[in-house]
Amino acid sequence: MAPVPWHIVALRNDQGIVLRGFPFGEADRVVVLLSPNSGKVRAVAKGVRKTKSRFGGRLEPFTHVDLVVYEGRNLGTITQVSVIEAFPAVRADLDRVLAAGTMVEVADAITHEGEPALRAFLLLQRGLKALDAAPRHPDLVAAFLLKAAAVVGVAPAFDHCAGCGRREDLTRFSFAGGGVLCENDRIPGAIVLRPGLTGYLAGIASADLAALPASDPAFSGEAMGVTRRFIEYHLERRLASLTVDG
Amino acid sequence: MFEAPIQRLIDELSRLPGIGQKSAQRLAFHLLTVEEVDARRLAEAIVAMREQVRLCQRCFNVTDSAECSICRDLRRDSSLVCVVERAQDIVVVEKTGEFRGRYHVLGGAISPIEGIGPEQLRMRELVARTAAEGVKEVIVATNPTVEGDTTALYIARILKPLGVRVSRLASGLPVGGDLDYADEITLGRALSGRRDL
Repeated sequence: MAPVPWHIVALRNDQGIVLRGFPFGEADRVVVLLSPNSGKVRAVAKGVRKTKSRFGGRLEPFTHVDLVVYEGRNLGTITQVSVIEAFPAVRADLDRVLAAGTMVEVADAITHEGEPALRAFLLLQRGLKALDAAPRHPDLVAAFLLKAAAVVGVAPAFDHCAGCGRREDLTRFSFAGGGVLCENDRIPGAIVLRPGLTGYLAGIASADLAALPASDPAFSGEAMGVTRRFIEYHLERRLASLTVDG
Repeated sequence: MFEAPIQRLIDELSRLPGIGQKSAQRLAFHLLTVEEVDARRLAEAIVAMREQVRLCQRCFNVTDSAECSICRDLRRDSSLVCVVERAQDIVVVEKTGEFRGRYHVLGGAISPIEGIGPEQLRMRELVARTAAEGVKEVIVATNPTVEGDTTALYIARILKPLGVRVSRLASGLPVGGDLDYADEITLGRALSGRRDL
């Protein structure tokens, strides 16, 4: 193999949250991270699957790490890793780990390699912090999905018609139409939401992930259903993690 | 590029994990130089393995009969079941010589990110076994990864209400390792799982 020219070899410092990884070769793993500065980053962690690996558990999903990447011609190689935040409580609880799975899947879907992703990174970080700090709030995943929709510019309208902007007579909700619609702007496929559900969704969408309003069992399940259909419609894909039932 | 029979073998070999075109060529030409009887023995071993090996109907280990040798061994403790992700992991646990119970191969681990849930694994069979065979303890020996830990949490959630003790392999420092090199996550687990001397 020809030597790599000196000008494209570089050691780069970065930070990111590990989204996922997959086995590579005998004992290596390709790790996919979300960096605020570089967007999605793929890099090889050599020997990480061996029990005596110096990386140990630092490159497991949901871990916020600081790392040094040796940039090669194709995939970079991770040479050093230190943990900024491990979110240990997330991994120790089935409900929280399933919620974290949805968060990283969505963060993965809304970001790209080489494109800065500060808002998506901060959203994921806040989501994992909220999960780590307290038992899973029943509306946390729905709130996260609504905020992810806002990050990609498709935040659903809840208090005004997504078609004309008027605030009265909001009777329908449309996934394609971008939120609630008035009678005049209703389009095929728009559904009727139960009274009170729009307000409930608006409350979740505007609240801080760490301080969500008290959950109402009468609305929580439906709010999640509507939110899921909305984000899946706009991402043009099913969220695999939501099919896993703990 | 090569004559058809050689190229066919190179193509087949290069489909194996970790074998590229160059290695496949080297292996193919090596097989041309060995005695014909040796090459035939290799071919027969591959065919025989595929024809004879199947899954144990009780634990899903690989075997050449209805039940694997571990499930047939009456001296083994049937009240103790060690759950592993893959059949290869059984050999690793067996090498320790510390375990005298039986096994259950799940066929993977729960991965929310990839959409692999309990229904894609042999979880239902595990629950049925614990009831039918009077299992008292299930030791979860899945990998110490997020997927392996999630699987362990799920098994604990479904089996504990049935009165089965569910334990997990300890995580900690590797024997012969250096404390300096331990990562904070592993060291944290080693501390929380410390033992009295």
